[in-house]
Formats: sequence, structure tokens, C-alpha cells
Amino acid sequence: MEKLISASLIGLSQGAIFALMALALVLVFRSTRVVNFAQAGQAMVSTYIGWEVVTRTDNYWIALPAAALAGALLAAIIETFLMRPLAKRASHGAIAPVASIIASLGVLGVLHSGAAMIWTTEQKLFQSPVSVNGIEIGSTVYPFSQADMLIISTVIIVMLIFAFFFQRTSLGLSLRAAAFQPEISRLAGVRVDRVRTIGWALSGAAGAIVGVLVTPGSYLSPFSLDILLVYGFVAAVIGGLESPQGAALGGLILGMSLSFTSIYVSSGLTFIVPFVVLLLILIVKPKGIFGGGNSRNA
Amino acid sequence: MMRLNRSKNALTLTALAATVAMVATVVPAQASTDKVGVTSNLIKLGISQPTDGPASAGYNKVAPAMKAYFDYINANGGVNGRKIELKIENDGYLVQNAVNKSISLVDDGIFAFVGSLGTANNLNVATALDLKNTKIPSLFVNTGYSGFAVKKDHPSIFSLFPSYYMETKIIGEYIKKNFPNKKVGIIYQADDFGDDGLAGLKQAGITLVKEVPYASLSQADPRSGPAWITQLNSAGVEVAIMFGVTSATAAALGAAARARYAPQWILGSVGSDVTTLNTLGITNNILNGAITGSFLPATTDTADSYIKLFRDVNTQYNPGVAFDSNVLAGMNTALVTAAAIKAAGPNLTRSGLIRTIETKGKSFLSASLTPPTYSTTSHAGYAGFWLGTFNSSGVLVPETGKYKVYTTDSAKGKVVASTYKRPAVSGKGLFK
Amino acid sequence: MHSTHRRRLILFIIVGAVLFYFSSRVGILRLYQGSTVSMYVIAIGSIILLTGYSGQISLGNGAFMAIGAYVAVLSQLYLNLPFFLTFFVAVLGAALAGLVLGIAAARLTGPYLAGATLALAVALPSIANLFPALGGEQGLGYDSGNAPALFGEVARFKWLFWISSLAALITCLILQNILKSRYGRVWKSIRSNSVAAELTGVNAPRSKVLAFILSAGIAGLAGAVLTMSLGTVSPSAFPLSLSFALITGAVIAGISSLLPGSLVGAVVLVGMSQLVGTLTTRFEIGDVLAQNLKELIVSALLILAVVFTPNGPGEKIREMRDHRRHHSHGGHR
Repeated sequence: MEKLISASLIGLSQGAIFALMALALVLVFRSTRVVNFAQAGQAMVSTYIGWEVVTRTDNYWIALPAAALAGALLAAIIETFLMRPLAKRASHGAIAPVASIIASLGVLGVLHSGAAMIWTTEQKLFQSPVSVNGIEIGSTVYPFSQADMLIISTVIIVMLIFAFFFQRTSLGLSLRAAAFQPEISRLAGVRVDRVRTIGWALSGAAGAIVGVLVTPGSYLSPFSLDILLVYGFVAAVIGGLESPQGAALGGLILGMSLSFTSIYVSSGLTFIVPFVVLLLILIVKPKGIFGGGNSRNA
Repeated sequence: MMRLNRSKNALTLTALAATVAMVATVVPAQASTDKVGVTSNLIKLGISQPTDGPASAGYNKVAPAMKAYFDYINANGGVNGRKIELKIENDGYLVQNAVNKSISLVDDGIFAFVGSLGTANNLNVATALDLKNTKIPSLFVNTGYSGFAVKKDHPSIFSLFPSYYMETKIIGEYIKKNFPNKKVGIIYQADDFGDDGLAGLKQAGITLVKEVPYASLSQADPRSGPAWITQLNSAGVEVAIMFGVTSATAAALGAAARARYAPQWILGSVGSDVTTLNTLGITNNILNGAITGSFLPATTDTADSYIKLFRDVNTQYNPGVAFDSNVLAGMNTALVTAAAIKAAGPNLTRSGLIRTIETKGKSFLSASLTPPTYSTTSHAGYAGFWLGTFNSSGVLVPETGKYKVYTTDSAKGKVVASTYKRPAVSGKGLFK
Repeated sequence: MHSTHRRRLILFIIVGAVLFYFSSRVGILRLYQGSTVSMYVIAIGSIILLTGYSGQISLGNGAFMAIGAYVAVLSQLYLNLPFFLTFFVAVLGAALAGLVLGIAAARLTGPYLAGATLALAVALPSIANLFPALGGEQGLGYDSGNAPALFGEVARFKWLFWISSLAALITCLILQNILKSRYGRVWKSIRSNSVAAELTGVNAPRSKVLAFILSAGIAGLAGAVLTMSLGTVSPSAFPLSLSFALITGAVIAGISSLLPGSLVGAVVLVGMSQLVGTLTTRFEIGDVLAQNLKELIVSALLILAVVFTPNGPGEKIREMRDHRRHHSHGGHR
């Protein structure tokens, strides 16, 4: 029973992280049809900004919004100066469907090497503002701490804010419109370019929050968030790539699968589980759980 | 359409011409390969290791430390009148790069490899460069894989570190003596490195109540720790062995501390460098009480003549770098290399060097607390460990106050207390 | 059509002869780099077929390389197949894996396929450690034999270079013919408009699976060639970065240009590290900068290529020529 609870708690806290990373990818995908592999790099650079703030101010609560802001700014820059011109230049020919993925891989490489040049590859640490020690219930300590609760609640708050933003605000609605019907939105007076940049900025902020949340439990290096990108992407695809609810569910499914196979089957399967889970889901739903639509449409 | 094809062919030919031009740098023919890389005043050595990338943390301090020691020797007259040049290549810990860079080193005319890092990398280099037949020496490879000690398979490779199998055999004996009737469990890397360690424990007769493998990648995911700990904890493990790389060790120790799970930790030497663990967030407080082994003196033991020498060399020739177990290992490898070159005499050849290590290696000056065990039939290096406990300031304290060394082999041999009396470092560690 | 076939064949024979000639005049490093270039030409060719023609993206062709490599080695080890046959088995094995994933992939569009192949590339290397028969991290040896006696005694690296360049030449020849055939045109039509293509009677999903299978098979061959030059197959030879490198190589000189595209891409991948090494020593660039310069340059090159010559320099030149012709034409009127 303790084992079962532990496995669920570990899965929940891991799943929350995957979900937020997935959400970051979904935000970009649904506003600009780009699968942004640079997300891990953007999050990493923003987290370094957070680290700089923490080491100077010794205050996590300043670092979190600072990193989010840096992440938003970085994303907006990448969108404005790279992705937007790219969408126009690489709109035809064989490259068109893959140009943005490829460019984002390039950006990832630039961010990796740039960060390594600035901050070296030596790991950086910062402390969590709350206790990282497991919670004691009765005589058992569960592998679930205030820090995990902070992660889960932050993820839930961020998700709720985004949901409210998309459903209730006019900017959010135009964002959705621009994503689904760019031409019609443009005719309706929506400044599509600006709206897309906002989509990227929100995503950059979400990614930065991921970085600042997970680093206290581990460490920061130019590569430390890469594996989260893989998991986040798998979670996003499971959820259907377009839906924030899908990202949340995808993250949870992946987090739970990893935790339960690790604890009940073998922890040697960490890298195989995502592939198996993804394939099983895509066989049943080729466009992910919330993807819907005709699977044969390009 | 036709025109298009023709212009395409022209492009193809241009590209090919460019490639051929790149390929066509003619190299001078070498008469004999036995004296490659040696002149009257210089010996060229090479090492392939990761300077950057996810797996480089800690390991990237080894080669600069070796170079620092060679610089120290060179500044004091070299070995047999020859200076030692170490060419350091960065392979990012990727197999394909390791092979490419090693071939590049051979192409550069190095005399021998020294201290190249990693089991898979060294194995691939050995086959790709056909070391078995070309007999290019690869000295003191930086891995505990026992296969490199087998002369029949790798006649020109010398291992230096005790094997993983020896290490866990010694740990196993220690557990039987000090923690009888306790439940023992292990977290280990799910590849040959971890499997070797697991086999050594079983050879020592240890029953494991829980085995937790973790998938090996260049780096362990720090967020996997809680799942490992949950498994050990729910199996009631009282003595937990952590046999993996440093990042995995950090993940396990961190997660255990947070879950207030406090078994008697026994750490494999690969993952127990205190400096690296500190940088990964494992404080001395968490580490306090954990047991680990080493074949070299503790890095903090300034009373030890070798440590004192290495620390001085590090201050002068490797400025700004903290003296940790990676630096220590690098300096020691350089020291042994210089001793081997000195012993091979003024007429230095590849085959002569290999023969010298086989016949005289046992008596080489070395910081290790167990002697190298080289012979004409075996290329196994050190064969023993002493075990100690970390105190609250991160210092590894030997079990009885003094280094008590046990030796064994990579087969079914017994674990015995060593009687080796290591000579103090002579002649300031120089080999004029 | 027949004459273009023959011309291509003659061209490839000439190239082969030139390479053969030079193989005796260069050192082991150049021979090894030549083998690596050949390996990349094959592997990049698999991406060009898949992405440049059929419009699908795979982030996991490194995984198909691994499958080909393991199949080749296992067939030599357990079935005692002669060395040359193992190459064919490698192609078949990887193609079979491609079929399995391709059936699923045919229903997957762009990013979903990218996700599935990425997850595969992450998963595959760790499988080798689960089954002892696969040799674990140490891997399994692969015996590439010796050159036939009629060539006299051939040094190992020369022999490897011969085989890899021969494999690359044959692959290019076959690929060129496939891409110029009806299949190539069908893939292109599906890529630009799959609905329209289906209306003309093309079975789009089946053609896409076919492209996926072929691409996997070719990647498998590249894997066998890579393993041959390494001498051992082990999981660490197929990291995720390999799959990314292939995409970089394919994009730099034009995603639908097999020749010279794949060759240019391969030379860039192999030559860059040396070029950067020379630069850093020449200009005495500091350590931290130097260590990361290569990745920075390659990544920047990738971005620049995709922004400024999205479909490769060849296409760009053609576009500009067409543009100019169009203009001058308009001027006359």
C-alpha cells in the first residue's frame, strides 16, 4: 500500500512537470504549427537567468518571475527574428513541412553551445524555497515534499491562468482564431503576427517555469533539461498537440507509466516506456487523445 | 530536363573534386612503427576523453591533471632527457568521436595512448585501430572493465584501476564481516559496468534482497532517484550499495535524504568523488557515514608524501583547479607513465615499453596503496582497495584510522589483507 | 531515359576509379574520414528520400542505423553469414523494422511521426543492455574480413574505405534511379497535395509506408557501414545526436538534393570538427569557447541554411535564374 501511494505520488509530481513542458510545446504548436525543439534550450537559458537572480538576491520568488519574463522575451525574439521570416521563406518545396522543426533544432544547438560558453558545463545549484523533505504520515515518510506540492500547484495555477486566458479574454480568443483560421482572422482585423508572438512568449514563460521548478531537486547544466523536452514532447503528442487539457493528461499518463513501471517492473526501462506508451496510444488515436479530426489530413 | 541533369552532374563532379582534394593530402611513408613518436628530446603521447558534453563533468579534469604533471616533469629535465608532450583530444564521450580522434592522434604520430576514458570507447578504438596487431600501446586506460587486463585479447593495452569485479568482491567481504544478517540491496547501472559489480557481490556470497537497475545513458536523469529509493525502502534494505556513475549516485543519495531513508550506504568508487557530488547538490551532511573504497590515498591526506607532491604540482601547474579524486587519478596515471618510460631506458620503442611494463611494472613508483600486478601473462593493474567512511566534512576516513588494504583478483580468488609497503615518493617524483 | 541511366552508371564508375586511385595515396586518418563520409552519404540519403521526397520527418533514423548494425553483426555471429551478405541482411532487417513502424506511421502526420521516431531513437540504445545476446555496453565484434587476394595485402583502413565508398556509390546509384522513377514523382505529388494525389488514383498511405521502409533499409545499411569501421556494435554508437546530425547533414545542401547534397552534408559533418580544431589553435581561442565552437558553428549553419537556402543552394540558384529569365522576358514586352 505504501509502495502504491509512493508510486502514485512520484508519478503525479513527475507528470506535472511533463505536463507543463508539454503545455509549452502545445502553446507554440497551436499558435504557429511549429514543433519547437528549442524549448529545452530556451527553458535552460531562462533558468540560468533565474540562477543569476537567485545567486544575487537569494530570493527564489524574484527568480521565478524573472526567469519567466526572460523566457517570454527569448521566445518572442526567436519567433520574430527567425520563425516568422522562416515561415515566409520556406513556404514551398520539400523543406516546407519540416523547416521549422529543423530551425528549432539549430536554435537548440546555438543555445546549448552559447550557454556552455557563458556559464560553462559545470553544474549550478539553487535551493528550493520550501522544504524538499518527504512528508511524514503516521510512521512512513513518502517521497513527496512541499517542493513537489509547489511544483504541482504552480503547474495547476499556470494551466488555469492559460485556460482562463484562452476561453475568456479577447486576446486569448484572437490567439485561438489566429491559430485555426489565420486568413480569416487577418480579414477580421486580428493582428496575426503579434498574436503569434504572444503565443510564443507565453510558451517561453511556461518553459522557464519548468526549469526553475525542477532545478532545486537536481541541478542546472546546459543539457539538464533536454530529457524533459523528450518527455514533454511525448506527453504533448499523447495529448494531441493542440489541446492544453491533452498536455495535462499526456503528462500525467507518462508520469504515472514511468513511475509504475520503474517501481513495479524495472527501473531499467526508463527510456523504453515513453516509446511504448506513445506507440500504443497513437495506434488507437493517430492524432493523440484530444487530437481528433481526420487522421489522413496533412 | 536534360540541361538540368547535366548541370546536376557538373555540380556532383565539383563536389567530388572537392572531397578528393580534401582526401589527397599525401602522408610520408613510415619506415618502422616501433619508434613512432619518439625523438632524441621528445615523446608524443595522446589521450581521447570528454572535455565537453553531458558526460564530461569531473572526467574533464583528468587529462589537464596529467598534462600538469608532465609539465612539472618537463620543467625539471624530462624523462631520460626527453620531454613528454600530451595531446588531448575531446571526444565528448561519444564512441564515434573517440575512434575518429584516436585515429587522428595516431595520424599525428603519437607514440602511445595514455589514460583514454571509457569502456565502450576504448573497446571500439581497440578494434577500429586493430591495436591487437598494430601493437600501438594504450597505457593505463581509465576504466575498471576487467577485459582490458586480458593480454591475449588486448596485447598492447594496460589497465591500471582495479576492476569493478574486484571492488564489489572486497565490498562483499566487508559487508559479511561488518553487517552480517542485514538486508542488502543495490542500485546499479544496467550495463556491463553494473553487471560486473553485481557479479562480484554474488561471487563474495552476498544475497541481495533488492536489485534496482537504472538505464545507462551518458547521464542519469536526476529525477529518477525517488523511484529507486522507494524500491529499496519498501524491500526493507538496511545496507544499500550504489554502484553507478556520479550523477546517479547523487540522484540516489539526494532522494534518500529527502525521503529520510537512511540505510548504511556503500558507494562504488566510480561515483563517490566528493567534490563532484558536492557540485551535484549532495552536501557533506548527506554524505556523512557513507562508505566507499579507493586504491589511492584520500585526497585530503596531506601527510601522505604523494598527495603532498601532487597538491604542490597542482597549485603550480594546474592553477585554479580544486584538487579532487579526478586530479589525483590523473596525476597518478602520469606518474606511472613517466616511471614506465624511465624504466624502458634511453632506447625507447613501443615493444620495449610493453615488455618493460610486463616485467618491471610491479615495482613502478605509484601513489596507489596496492602495487600494480603486471606480469608477462596479465595486464591487470592495481588489485585492491581500502574502505573508509565519509565524515561530516566530506573527508574519507579509513576504517581503522590507517589504510587497510585488501587485494583480490577478477576471478574466484580470495580477498586477502595486503602486506604491501608502498615506498615513499622518491626523487620528487621525477625521472631524469 | 535509357541513356541517362547509362550516363549515371559511367559517372559512378569514374568516381569509383578516382577514389580507388586516391585510396593508396593518403594516410589512415583521411581513409577513415573517407569511410565516415561514405557512411553519412548513405544515412543522409535515407533522410533525403523520406523527407525530401515523401515529405515525412524522422528524428529516429539513427535508431534504424542501430537496427541495421545489430542485424548485420548478429547474422555474422549466429548464422555465420559471409561478410558481404550481412550488409544485405542489415538492409532487410532495418526495412522490416521500418515496415512495422511505417504501418503506424502512415496514419501519423508530421509532428506525430516526429514524436514517435524521437521516442524510438531514445528507447533503442537501452534495449541492447536488456538482452545479454546483444552484448551489452561492450557490444559485439564485427569481422570485416580481408581484401580478396588479387589486390595483394590491403591495409585495414584502405579496405574499409573501399567497402564504404562502394556501398555509398551503389546506394546513390540505386537511390538516384528510384527518385527519378515513377515512385519519386508519386512521392512528390503526395507531398505537395495528398488529396489531389489520391484523386489521381495514388494510394497515398501505401506510398508513404514504402518510402518509410526504403528509408529505414538504407539507414540500416549506413548502420552496418558505421559498425564495420568501428569494428564493434554497441549502443553508445547510436546516440540521439546522431539522428539530429543526419538531419543537419541533409538540410545544409538541400533536403531534396541527393547529389551533391548528401555528399556536401557528409563532408560538412566530418570536416567541421577538424576545421574548428585548426581555427582554435590558429587563433588561440580560449578553452571554454573552443570546446563549444563546433556545435555553435554547425547549429548556426543549419539555421542560416534553412532560412536563406531553404531548399538548398541548387534550388536557390535555379530560382534566381528563373526569376531573372522571367524579368528579362517581361522587359522585352
